[in-house]
Amino acid sequence: MADRKPLYLMTPALLWLTGFMVIPCLLILALAFFRRGIYGGIEYDFTFENIALVFDPLYAGIFIKSAIIAGQSALIASVVGYAAAYAIASMPKRRQPLLLFLAILPFWSNYLVRTYAWIVLLNREGLVVAVARALGYDQELPSLLYTEGAVIVGLVYNYLPFVILACYAPLARLNSEIGEASRDLGAGRWTTFRRITLPMTVPGLATGFVFVFVLSIGNFVTPALLGGGQFQMIGNLVYAQFLTANDWPFGAALSMALIAVMMGLLTLQTFATERASGGRAGEGDHG
Amino acid sequence: MGNRAPLPLTLTILVVVFAFLYLPISVLFGLSFNEGGMPTAWSGFSVKWYFLLFQDQDIIHAALNTLVVAVVSTILAAILGTLLAIGVEIRRRKGRLLETMIFAPMIIPDIVLAIALLSFFSLLDVTMGLHTIIVSHVVFNLAFVCSVVRARLKSFDWSIVEASTDLGAPILVTLRRIVIPVLMPAVVAGSLLAFTLSVDEFIIAFFTAGAGRASTTLPMQIFSMIRFGVTPEINALSTIVMIVSVVILAISQRINRGGLPGQ
Amino acid sequence: MNSALLTIQNVEKHFNKYHAVDGISLEIAENEFFALLGPSGSGKTTLLRMLAGFETPTVGNILLDGKDISHIPPNHRPINLMFQSYALFPHMSVAQNIAYGLEMEKLPKTEIKSRVDEMMEMVQLPHLAGRKPEQLSGGQRQRVALARSLVKRPRLLLLDEPLGALDKKLRGEMQLELKRIQNQFGITFVVVTHDQEEALVMADRVAILKDGKLLQHGTPLEIYEYPQTRFAADFIGVMNFFPARMPDGTPTTADGAAFKASIPDAIRDGDEVLAAVRPERLHLGATAQDNSLTGTVRAIAYHGLDLSRCISTRRSLPSR
Repeated sequence: MADRKPLYLMTPALLWLTGFMVIPCLLILALAFFRRGIYGGIEYDFTFENIALVFDPLYAGIFIKSAIIAGQSALIASVVGYAAAYAIASMPKRRQPLLLFLAILPFWSNYLVRTYAWIVLLNREGLVVAVARALGYDQELPSLLYTEGAVIVGLVYNYLPFVILACYAPLARLNSEIGEASRDLGAGRWTTFRRITLPMTVPGLATGFVFVFVLSIGNFVTPALLGGGQFQMIGNLVYAQFLTANDWPFGAALSMALIAVMMGLLTLQTFATERASGGRAGEGDHG
Repeated sequence: MGNRAPLPLTLTILVVVFAFLYLPISVLFGLSFNEGGMPTAWSGFSVKWYFLLFQDQDIIHAALNTLVVAVVSTILAAILGTLLAIGVEIRRRKGRLLETMIFAPMIIPDIVLAIALLSFFSLLDVTMGLHTIIVSHVVFNLAFVCSVVRARLKSFDWSIVEASTDLGAPILVTLRRIVIPVLMPAVVAGSLLAFTLSVDEFIIAFFTAGAGRASTTLPMQIFSMIRFGVTPEINALSTIVMIVSVVILAISQRINRGGLPGQ
Repeated sequence: MNSALLTIQNVEKHFNKYHAVDGISLEIAENEFFALLGPSGSGKTTLLRMLAGFETPTVGNILLDGKDISHIPPNHRPINLMFQSYALFPHMSVAQNIAYGLEMEKLPKTEIKSRVDEMMEMVQLPHLAGRKPEQLSGGQRQRVALARSLVKRPRLLLLDEPLGALDKKLRGEMQLELKRIQNQFGITFVVVTHDQEEALVMADRVAILKDGKLLQHGTPLEIYEYPQTRFAADFIGVMNFFPARMPDGTPTTADGAAFKASIPDAIRDGDEVLAAVRPERLHLGATAQDNSLTGTVRAIAYHGLDLSRCISTRRSLPSR
């Protein structure tokens, strides 16, 4: 096929992406180097001030806190997701597609709604409290909502289906005879899992972890709704700069830092995957 | 795996995880029919919250806005995304840069894209409204359509294009009668996916809607309802929104037999 | 003799530095069943695609009925191609697939319908008219692909490895079927294949290709009995080779045993030669007879119809 024609087909979409994604992002990059005007506008003086501010303990601290929360969410989601994927893959083959479908289904619903559902469960007049009262708990219960824990639960809840999907693929592809061979050679169930199954399916787990981490660290909606007004993660911070504080250049600098962190993580993951897949036999060979 | 009978442990894990996944949304669903509207007590079955919804002008207005944005951005995204997918798959040389550009909209944190577009429109002194939301939604929608169509193209037998030419068809006829019909399920599935994403999308819409309440979308409305005053109507609204997205995506999967990203 | 329908004149096809087809000239007659035979990489598929119009010759011409068609696009040639993968349109029924080419000719609907029905009868498919390709077996799909091309009554039908996807038994049946169809329709067939047995069974004439060049062409008998190159001798059927010398014009083995053979004119006294003999020409016996060599049976393999024995006479020598 001539190489000229494909170019015409791709041009409209590429132009759109260039104009409405690439250029705006470059704009943000540039914006980070300007100064906030006195009345909230932008003064076009070149400065490193904003970048420096990102490293200020206050803001760096928020980055670190976001990373810790993202990390905890990713960890919990990975463990639970892997366990769920393992459970699905252990079910009779013909039931698996249905179970997988049911696991993914919540993921398809509106993100805001899913997060709001936790408000319903966790707030002072929410379901959890109602159930506790029904069980006879009359004391003052600690606030479940607007806590770090609530944010983590929200993040885990929102991204769990994705992890299940990511972990299911390598688990389903696993040749059952390998596990049987391990048992035949004398290994117990747990040992077989620890030394055979787990190492062979770790890529799916890693993918899930990284994606949840990356999606969580820049998240805005979940911390905003479940964390309350005082709760700050990077996403909220950027939001605040653009909406209330009117310090667009600083918001831009924060965004750039966020992108840098994400890019770093994704690159790390790519390296780790490439190194891990060198010399890995068995998985995926059984087409 | 999947050969022997599952252990009690695995069954327990499955039950617990599914309970976790479905509890919150089931509660929401149930609550929307609760006369009292509060989770503290069940006061009887009622659909009044749904009726109230349909009388709420703000909500109707937001729903219409959302529909307009979703339909227009989906149509644009379907055309651009499909052409992009065909172009990319025909090319012999694959560029890293090209791939990055196509995947970028799906990877960039939505808040970053949102503020980038806000800055962009502000700089150009563009009045913002539904049109800017539409333009912004096309950005990620076309990436998703492209991804779904590309997946279909990977198993596309190009020899049928040559067969059509061999049988006497000029290029446009081949495109119209062979390529597009065969791709159609993927294009439709990708479009339904894009439609749903647009309907559910909050943060980009929020930042590109501009001042004034004329261009509020449904997610924006839901957000402010959650933030600034929870009336029980929101449970009914949430339930409807949830069911709509799930149904549309289920249909989409049926059409394309699992060709969605993440599958 | 029929006049040449298709003339391929000194055709070459270059992909950058690589010559996929390196100077081939051939004539194919009307109503012939012609085979282009060769291993992969021999250029046979590229040549076929040039005939169909999907590639243009870098050098040389292709003439159909005396007219140069080298640069005419595929949709304007009275030549049709049956693809190796059949390339059936997955979203159309069998009848719609077959009708497609006729619709491109802008024929009236009634005529299209009658010709499609007629064609489906001839390839025994009328009961499958409404089915989609995915519901058909491999053999049925092939018949649809054939019908789709034949219904246009092309001057020339090209077939790219038509039997490759079929299992052994079906292949044998289809070989005869294709011959019957070609005879019945009186259309010239050009088949590309790497299977020499197929070429010998089906074709009226065979051209042997290697590395983009034409080694030899002729009837199956000529190719089998009188191969002109070592490659042809080896590629067609089973052949036993052993080196020999020609002192005083008599072929002699390395051990000094003399034997009789037909000697091409180009061979001179004293040359080092390669002797080749078909297994069916060898007889084994306990005692030496006229024109024989002595050897030892090293291994036996049973093939049902026959045995193969590996015999060494100082140099090893497989035979039937």
